[in-house]
Amino acid sequence: MQQPQWWWCAVKKWGYLVSRLLWAGVATWVILTITFVLMEFTPNAQYAQLQFSAAQSGGDPEQALETAKRLRGDTGTLWAQYTEFLSNIVSGNWGWSTYRSQPVTEALATAIPWSMMYGVPSLIISTVLGMTIGLYSALNQYSREDYAATLFAFMGISIPNFWFAIILLVFFGTVLNWVPILFDTGVAQNAAGNLTLGGVFSLANLRQLILPVVVLTTGSIASLMRYSRAEALEYVEADFVKTARAKGVSDRMIVLKHILRPASIPLATLLVGDLLGIIFVGSYLVEVVFGIPGLGTLSYNAIINQDTALVFGTIFVPTFIAIVGNLAQDLSYAYLDPRISFGDDE
Amino acid sequence: MSTQTTPDATDAASRNDDVLLSVEDLVVQFDTDGGTVHAVDGVSFDVREGETLCIVGESGSGKTISCEAITRLFRSPPGFIRGGSVEFDGTDLTSCSDDRLKEYRGNRIAHVFQNPQGALNPVYTIGNQVREAVELHTDLEGSAIRDRVVDLLGEVGIPEPVTHLGDYPHELSGGMKQRVVIAMALAGEPDLLIADEPTTALDVTIQKQILDLLNDVQERHDMSVIFVTHDLGVVAQIADRVLVMYAGKVMERDDVFDLFESPEHPYTAALLDCLPGSGGLEGIPGDLPDPFNPPAGCRFAERCPAVTEECIEGDQPPEYPVGSDDHTVSCVHHAPDGDPGELDGVTGAIGGDES
Amino acid sequence: MSADGDDAPGGDSGVRTDGAGEDVVSSNRRTFEDIDWTAIEADSRRVPPLTALWWGLLTVLVSGLLFDAYWRFAPEIPDVPVLGLLARETGGAFSFPVVGVITPLTWLYALTLLFVVFKAIVPLVRDRRMTMYYWREFRKNRLAVLSLVWLAVIFAIGTVGPLFLNTPKVAPLEAYQPPVFMSVDSGVPVSCVGETINGRCHGTWEHPFGTTAQGKDILVSVIYGMKISMQVGLIGSFLVILVASAVGLLAAYSRGWMDEILMRYVDIQITFPTFFLYLLVTFMFGGSLFNMIVIFGLFGWGGIARIVRSEALQRREEEYVLASENTGAGTWSVIRRHLLPNVSNSVITAVSLLIPSLILFEAALAFLGLGDPTIPSWGEVIASGRRDLDRAVWISTLPGIFLFFTILAFNFVGDALRDALDPRNVGGES
Repeated sequence: MQQPQWWWCAVKKWGYLVSRLLWAGVATWVILTITFVLMEFTPNAQYAQLQFSAAQSGGDPEQALETAKRLRGDTGTLWAQYTEFLSNIVSGNWGWSTYRSQPVTEALATAIPWSMMYGVPSLIISTVLGMTIGLYSALNQYSREDYAATLFAFMGISIPNFWFAIILLVFFGTVLNWVPILFDTGVAQNAAGNLTLGGVFSLANLRQLILPVVVLTTGSIASLMRYSRAEALEYVEADFVKTARAKGVSDRMIVLKHILRPASIPLATLLVGDLLGIIFVGSYLVEVVFGIPGLGTLSYNAIINQDTALVFGTIFVPTFIAIVGNLAQDLSYAYLDPRISFGDDE
Repeated sequence: MSTQTTPDATDAASRNDDVLLSVEDLVVQFDTDGGTVHAVDGVSFDVREGETLCIVGESGSGKTISCEAITRLFRSPPGFIRGGSVEFDGTDLTSCSDDRLKEYRGNRIAHVFQNPQGALNPVYTIGNQVREAVELHTDLEGSAIRDRVVDLLGEVGIPEPVTHLGDYPHELSGGMKQRVVIAMALAGEPDLLIADEPTTALDVTIQKQILDLLNDVQERHDMSVIFVTHDLGVVAQIADRVLVMYAGKVMERDDVFDLFESPEHPYTAALLDCLPGSGGLEGIPGDLPDPFNPPAGCRFAERCPAVTEECIEGDQPPEYPVGSDDHTVSCVHHAPDGDPGELDGVTGAIGGDES
Repeated sequence: MSADGDDAPGGDSGVRTDGAGEDVVSSNRRTFEDIDWTAIEADSRRVPPLTALWWGLLTVLVSGLLFDAYWRFAPEIPDVPVLGLLARETGGAFSFPVVGVITPLTWLYALTLLFVVFKAIVPLVRDRRMTMYYWREFRKNRLAVLSLVWLAVIFAIGTVGPLFLNTPKVAPLEAYQPPVFMSVDSGVPVSCVGETINGRCHGTWEHPFGTTAQGKDILVSVIYGMKISMQVGLIGSFLVILVASAVGLLAAYSRGWMDEILMRYVDIQITFPTFFLYLLVTFMFGGSLFNMIVIFGLFGWGGIARIVRSEALQRREEEYVLASENTGAGTWSVIRRHLLPNVSNSVITAVSLLIPSLILFEAALAFLGLGDPTIPSWGEVIASGRRDLDRAVWISTLPGIFLFFTILAFNFVGDALRDALDPRNVGGES
């Protein structure tokens, strides 16, 4: 059996990395272009307003539009505007939010920490718990715990999280009064209105974060549980596990070394791709229900207030994260699985 | 060969000294959604030191489960040993705890499985996996372990073992993979090697190589071998004694030469008939009995050309000796009050080739 | 089990004919020489009635859809005298005698049902043996059977109900009525339709599920919501199946650069979350159910296309495809006869899990107020009850229960379908 040259392998590995990066870049560019095109077609509320008032006062709406555009710098050929748009995005100038009266990037920067406050714990808990329970289920297939976990998984995936949030809020907030009904942003901030570490981790803040985390977690954990159970099951019943047993390897080592390690590959990829998706969409609804001033609420308000720049800005963030996530997913899959040899087809 | 005794002698004192493994009345069942599968239903056999016992039968005969039951390798649930005993070198393995059993696995009893493709963990190098076996079963440390790994790989016929230590399973051919599996099995210097259809998934030319390798290894290490197969051609090449199983029961048990020359059970005769070159092309008509609900009487009755009323009553007929004590058949026609004449034309002396 | 189990291979040539020497249909013992080729050829030129019906209905519905969509978005609706006989134009939509107002959505729904009947139900009825096999496997999962019953009920009520009931009407005087099994402090509703006992207003059968803050009857809203959810789920998945199968099969069959391009496109499409896409569309064009369903259908097919492609790639290497190609079957024929049926099992499973997410999406969007304001939907009712959680908890709770159980039912059914249909799961012990 001929061993491929070691340097050829290295080239292929690096080549893959580069190609994936390039692809991420291409995807980003495509999405930006589409955004630009869409933006061109979006009725701009302000311009519409201007034209309307111009028409009302007997002026020339076309002229008014021209002037406004020139003032705004919204002139030039389509291509010029396009390149300017792209360079703006890259340089961090994402436009001005009329609704918030601040640059889009600033609005995003203030909103993101709030989203992370419940998003990150949710991500961690669902990952750890989800995979653990899934693995346990696979190892103890058909046991009572397995059935209970599966049932729980079904419920978790099925329950509409916005409805669940409402129900929990009623029960734990109104009826039991264990958690506050209204989200108080002041609890996590200092006098000047800036987020402080102490404030974020304060008991009051944690209390009001419990329900959002629970709601978001139940959805994603269920999904993760089912997938990791399915993946682990394939390995649990694999022949090489039987070989290991016949060799006399201890049960613990079998689980850790022979099942977990190979199973972690598809699981790692799953984690990044699907989980992020669930979290983003879920967080949108969670924030609206609980009144958390995070990315979701920002986006929602932007839509309601017809704030074009902000709308696109708030849609970029999850999209870019998704692209990066996919990239990480592809790379980790390729590097973790020795069976994949970068372009050799079976 | 030393004096022979019947395989199911229960008197320990009269048991032969060089019997390494003694399986008696083994019953293994699987509890599934569709019912209880009677995989192994009262099987007994012995393996003596240094000998090769071949267990022959079709898929579903229970031969694999019988072997996995020796060190309890099948998943439990849903599989359970519900009767009988497995005595290995004086200890009943069925009553051992899992921990105790682990000391035997790989160490004194090793397994080689059918499917080399799946037998090796894809994310670890073969060096790593053989090393695992060496670490488990020897007291070697440091570089001695690596040397032993290289030795083992060399012994099973892997050329230039050192260069292959870092190979992943998917980089090797089927034959090579199987050699690695055998190397792992040898790491603990086992007394008994159980090979479950190790060559079935391989090309014929590779098959021969692996069989030769197993022969070599057995001689060199003075091991006993249980070789499970459905291929009588292979049996002819390597077996000392043969056990023929069908639907969870033993049909016939014999010395290999005698078996090929004059099989006494209709099933064995039918199997031999299926060998290429012996003329028949029909196969054995009929189907396997329902594993959930085995029929009364002889399991093979439905498909047997010599079937009579007695065959379908009661239990599977006990194994009656034929000729020498070492040859037994589970057939009513060989009972003391039976008529072997019924089997004329079905069993008995077969002319010709055993290859 | 075959009755011919005892035949030796090679077949014996017991030919059964009736007196006239014609072949008897379904005789197992015909030999090759007995086949009457001219008769078969003559037969194949005649179009069987079912196929004729299929093509006829398809044409009608597709033209209706295109027609209606065009008029709807065209700048002005021209005066076509013939059309005036058939339908009356009411506020931009055509109104037909019996069925009332028809929107592009109605055409789409009808198309979907047409496909379901002709492409799913008819083949199932024809191949009874396989259907019974699938059913037996499916039946093993009792929860799934229960779920199926629930879904059938929802579908029935959702289809029939709106024909007899009017859309929920705003009735301020009847606001905040509690459901029939509950009572609420009499200060909550404006006036109590039922009895007031001990200062508590009790629910009545007039409003079994109570009413919303605007006085809309919740039971009627729930029933209309069933219809909406069913439409979203079915039409959306129909579109998805259509596009995903087309793209997946095309990619798998053509290989090369066509495959590459298509899959790259799918990659990008999958990266962009459909949810946000819909948000954008709503932002730009306003919310409407039609938009929502079309967006889902046109942009949510990526995952299933991948499944179709990978399955088709596997099947493409199978010998029966090769054999078919060798006898001269064209590309389209091979795809239709060999690849499609074998891929359909995975598609069905994937779709049965897609439908609940579509329904959930619609509900979420309606909840956010970004859905179609003209139609009553479960999400909308839930949203309307948010402010009154402390006083009138039933407004948000009841529709949510229906939503929850419907989605749960789909998930159970999808899981059972996967077990029943997936050939890989039919494993035996050897």
